Amino acid sequence: MPLYLSPRIDPTVQSVLDETTLMAQLSDALGSPLGVVLPQQLTGNVAAFRSIFSAHRLSGQIYFAHKANRSSALVRELAATDAGIDVASLAELQHALGAGFVPQRIMATGPKNEEFLWLAARSGITVSADSVGELATLATLVTKWSLPRVRVMARLSGFASTGAQLNSRRSRFGVSAAAASEVFDVIEKHADALDLVGVAFHLDTIGLPEKAVALEGCLVALDECRRRGLRPWSVDIGGGFGVDYLADGTQWEQYTSALTEAVLGRRAPLTWNGHGYGLRAEGGHVRGSLNLYPAHRPLSGPAYLDRLLRTTSPELRRPLGTLLLDNMYELHLEPGRALLDQCGLVLASVLEVRDEANGDTIVRLDCNARDVSLEEHGVLMDPVVVHRTTSAGPGPVGVYLFGNLCLEADLITRRKVFLPSRPRTGDLLAFVNTAGYLMDFSATQALRQPIGRKAALFRNDGAWRWCLDEQYWPVHHRAEAP
Amino acid sequence: MRFETMTDAIGNTPLVRIDPAVHGLRNITLYAKMELLNPFGSLKDRAAWNMARPLLTQAVERGDTVVELSSGNTAKALAVIAGMHGLSFRSVTNRMKVAEIKDLLLLLGAEIDELPGQAECLDPTDTDDPLTRMYHRLAESGGGYLHTDQYFNELNVDAHLNGTGPEIVKDLDGRAPDYFIACVGTAGSSTGVATALRQHNPDVRVVGLVAHKSDFIPGIRTIDEVHEVGLFDPDVYDTVETITADDAIDGLLTLVRRCGTLAGPTGGGAYQGAVRHLRAIDAQLTEHRTAVFIVCDRVESYMSYLRERRPELFGRPPRRNSLRTVTDADVRRAATMQVAEAERWIAEGRGLVVDLRSPFAYQALHIDGSINIVDELFAELLHGGLPFGRRQPVLLVCPVGEKSARYAALLTRMGHPDARSLDGGIIAWRDAGAELVRD
Repeated sequence: MPLYLSPRIDPTVQSVLDETTLMAQLSDALGSPLGVVLPQQLTGNVAAFRSIFSAHRLSGQIYFAHKANRSSALVRELAATDAGIDVASLAELQHALGAGFVPQRIMATGPKNEEFLWLAARSGITVSADSVGELATLATLVTKWSLPRVRVMARLSGFASTGAQLNSRRSRFGVSAAAASEVFDVIEKHADALDLVGVAFHLDTIGLPEKAVALEGCLVALDECRRRGLRPWSVDIGGGFGVDYLADGTQWEQYTSALTEAVLGRRAPLTWNGHGYGLRAEGGHVRGSLNLYPAHRPLSGPAYLDRLLRTTSPELRRPLGTLLLDNMYELHLEPGRALLDQCGLVLASVLEVRDEANGDTIVRLDCNARDVSLEEHGVLMDPVVVHRTTSAGPGPVGVYLFGNLCLEADLITRRKVFLPSRPRTGDLLAFVNTAGYLMDFSATQALRQPIGRKAALFRNDGAWRWCLDEQYWPVHHRAEAP
Repeated sequence: MRFETMTDAIGNTPLVRIDPAVHGLRNITLYAKMELLNPFGSLKDRAAWNMARPLLTQAVERGDTVVELSSGNTAKALAVIAGMHGLSFRSVTNRMKVAEIKDLLLLLGAEIDELPGQAECLDPTDTDDPLTRMYHRLAESGGGYLHTDQYFNELNVDAHLNGTGPEIVKDLDGRAPDYFIACVGTAGSSTGVATALRQHNPDVRVVGLVAHKSDFIPGIRTIDEVHEVGLFDPDVYDTVETITADDAIDGLLTLVRRCGTLAGPTGGGAYQGAVRHLRAIDAQLTEHRTAVFIVCDRVESYMSYLRERRPELFGRPPRRNSLRTVTDADVRRAATMQVAEAERWIAEGRGLVVDLRSPFAYQALHIDGSINIVDELFAELLHGGLPFGRRQPVLLVCPVGEKSARYAALLTRMGHPDARSLDGGIIAWRDAGAELVRD
């Protein structure tokens, strides 16, 4: 029985996959791997988040976490919507400004060097500060260069819970919520340079209770601001809204059950060298925990935001969304993956299909695990086979996907992937829904292998058109009438 | 019955026949082992006491903290036992999903350590599971802990091998039942009882019940999770079957409504799983058989669990003056006041301003002279009638003027002649630059 993990594919992406000739031409012309982005999909994703804001009567901004994809087309298309952008490096800030984002729609987050801070202050974007030291550096820059007052957010972490002790993973970012007053001291001291507009957090968890504690901690910190006479009006809850990658939850359940059995040796291995994805067998029992992205995640994206806003605040005993509204606060978020749901795919060409003596079938691809970083991000999801002509034989077939690096570890995924039909050399594998973090996040030129090119696909005049990613602007010229 | 201490009351629970009119089996007599009648409320009292007892003297001498990885009944029993011996208890859990149990543990004086949720951005180097994390903590603290280790401790099984199992045999006049059906949690009770029963009759058929993978049934593990349990041995069970949360609740309802048994979801699941398994066999039988299942704990701790999954069970008649009865047409007819007019109206002291936001938000910033009645409290007051006189003009304030309009409409329908809503709410008030104060 093949253990499929079929990707969730929306009708637009399906219509792209149906253009097999176009896919083959693009791959032939631009090489393998090829990142294909679908910028027009962003509009609907932004609107879906906006609808949750409206349902809760909240105002605020959706800042796209740029780091999820390097594409220019996506950023430029996003500039044409009402969303903002979250930049985490100097180059990302330059990119955002160049794509048409005005400073009011840009937020700088993450670790920053002095150049990044200078351009942020000079251009007038909002700076989400990671530490007291960063605020002091920023204030010094502003004074030294006689720059306008900079809008800042204070990122907090390490929120304390009451009753049951709710533990969160330690974060390297942010100021401990208990020491928030030190941040406000610095801001008051440099009142002519720094304008506090809100407080922020980001927790690397899918757990709602932890986020509820953090959001409440932000409300308490903002109350401290009120007491001091500061008037920040916003709470930034970061990202982590997630994507539901799989079409069928029962496939995920069957697969993970089978993986547990394989780890225990009760069935043939499902992975290269019996890798357990965090599970291991000890004395006939399974130890460890499944170290994977929850690929089947029905509560994700805007729905996850909605659930968070409906969650009752542990201390103040009122839904978090209602509390934000009661306090007249704006809500800010930084979704990356969730905003890029169904916004792109990676095409890789098949170099070789061979059957090993031990019964394994190998499909060698002209791309590596950095080009489709499913494994690095723990996302288990099948590629779609795009045949140039016909299937090489009756399916299904279980295969291992080898990459193009001269490196033992270079498997696109360590999992045996079941394909519904056997590919031939020259066919393409389409890794769909990979625009968020799974496309070029960690692509490298190791072994002087090229980083894949990127093409933007868009609908114009009722047909699919394409251009190189860097050529794309959200202005589409209609074809001249004959 | 006279006892020195409550722990003496653990065990010796009754075996009660389930009325055949309820389960409909013709050739099988079905008995329930009433573990919910243990003094701290569950089957886990036995294992908790059996595991902790031999270590208590030393632990008391050293002043150790009792520690267990549990989010339910074992934690409850250990918290009570620890308290009785002047020790503190800490429960480490990867999410306590039932609110009442968490509150009960806190009431009993337990400390609860909840482990972080799954990471959103995967860290491939993080392979820790809750158990490993807990062992790290134990090691770091350099002792001072009594860890009962219920998932791996043979004394857990032993409590049932020498207690629950033999009690069943005794109550069946020295014979083991033909079928034994149990939910699998730590696997302690099912393994212990099954072993004891087979010592009397090797042909006892043992059915293990696990939760459907995507379901959550408190106290029952899913088919994948049982493999993480040290005490779980697949050979104990002749068959392992799956039950859903719906099955468990259906069974619970049968037990609580028809059998005088205030069982929790695990007992409900065991009943439902037992009847489902036995029904097929019953049809083929020509001679008489007996079967036993375990009612693990009581229903009272699972109200929020039941309310979430079966809200219809808690349906109540509508209360009068309910906001839900206000129609959109009522709201459109409700009188509103613009910010500029409201500023004058308030300055002239023309009436009462009621701020419906939370006390936290009100205290941070509010309109001078307003009073705060948070909306849920205001709704409660209105069920009883108007909380102010009809000659008292009222201006209602909420964040955006939506909730206040609904309440103004409701007050109007209740006969108040001058109840109005601040148009655009306090956000419009702020945006117009009107004054907000903080006391």
